[in-house]
Amino acid sequence: MSENVFKINNLNLYYGQFQALKNISLQLKKNKVTALIGPSGCGKSTFLRSLNRMNDLIDDCHIDGDILYHQNNIYQRGYDVITLRTKVGMVFQKPNPFPMSIYDNVVYGPRCQGIKNKKKLDDLVEESLKKAALWEEVKDRLKDSALDLSGGQQQRLCIARAIAMEPEVILMDEPTSALDPIATLKIEDLINELKENYAIVIVTHSMQQAARISDETAFFLMGEIIEYGSTDTIFSNPKEKQTEDYITGRFG
Amino acid sequence: MTYRTRFDQELEELKISLIKMGDLVTKHIHASLKYFLEMNSELAEKLIKKDEEVNEMEYAIERECMRIILREQPVAKDLRLITSILKMITDLERIGDHAVDIAKLTVFMEKNEEAFTVKETKNMVDISEDMIKLALESFVNQDLSIARKVVEMDDLVDQDFYTIKNQVAQAIRESDIDADYAIYLMMVAKYLERIGDHAVNLAEWVIFSILGKHIED
Repeated sequence: MSENVFKINNLNLYYGQFQALKNISLQLKKNKVTALIGPSGCGKSTFLRSLNRMNDLIDDCHIDGDILYHQNNIYQRGYDVITLRTKVGMVFQKPNPFPMSIYDNVVYGPRCQGIKNKKKLDDLVEESLKKAALWEEVKDRLKDSALDLSGGQQQRLCIARAIAMEPEVILMDEPTSALDPIATLKIEDLINELKENYAIVIVTHSMQQAARISDETAFFLMGEIIEYGSTDTIFSNPKEKQTEDYITGRFG
Repeated sequence: MTYRTRFDQELEELKISLIKMGDLVTKHIHASLKYFLEMNSELAEKLIKKDEEVNEMEYAIERECMRIILREQPVAKDLRLITSILKMITDLERIGDHAVDIAKLTVFMEKNEEAFTVKETKNMVDISEDMIKLALESFVNQDLSIARKVVEMDDLVDQDFYTIKNQVAQAIRESDIDADYAIYLMMVAKYLERIGDHAVNLAEWVIFSILGKHIED
């Protein structure tokens, strides 16, 4: 039985008057990949962003309910959001490397945290790029601009940048939707390796991708979780008709 | 660099499961004929119960194939491979069923009869075993020539079947055989002949998995 990293209880999230998430309860486990699926606007990205308080940046967003990260409510007053975001990293839909060298991208976060020792930073770059399955492709050109990399390489660089912070959870918001099929496969293989060390939560529009890479799947519809369970069950014998209709392409 | 190493590993494990299932059913057909020839209804009864293992293996492989289809979404040769496995386990399960059929005849036989056509029936089982093993080997190695050889080997099984039929007919004409035993023996021979046909099916699925089309008649 995997350890729960996140425990979400009766989460409601509102953008002004609009309720984007309704009574979400879910556990996210270590060493598991959890896929969030559902039609556009169903709340899956909103939910993902609530896990490292990215929604704080939206003015009229407010929530009730609990998001417990190791038993601590991350929305409680005085909670250290900076530390939370080092432990809960994020990779976005479009690769977003900083306009600087490959090396500087990876060490950006650690430098912000005050690490200056060159040897330590060098080791961190090598280790992070290796974990992100990018080292062999870029080890001879670490000083080149990250923007010269291909889309798939840029995305793996963003994963390396997240890993360099030694997170515990990696949130991925449609990380392969801007990539070609081979680059997608590389990221998927990588996700499979990364789960040895991290909890991974991935939003994907591709149900095939969810089936390929995730251990658990949550199906969102209009801000609610309709069904949550093992990916094998959800995709072979879902309990809810709405889930079945969506994953078989009957609606959505 | 190759991708999808997990998928490749799953396919290898699936092939191993298929070979194990093939091993088990060949053991069962050997045992069922032995018990029939020895009229050992006690061991035949036990063998009937063991068929559950074959069924379990079939379900387990079927589940794994479904999981792989779901998880890995195989295409091209991978899709043909998985489809072929799903069909092959049905043939293997039928072979197991025929071993049970023979065991049931052994249980039904009320009296001991001197074994007849021992050489031919044993030969049928030996050839069928070779066919099953070679078919599975050709599947694992994706070897077309071995698969084609298996298809041809069926003629040897059929030859034995006709030899048995002729010998039993002759014995009946000469009133040299118990009527019930003669009927049971012909049924055994027919089951063995069907086992040969299922082994041919295995090879034909191998050919399909390699070429992507069914063997021409």
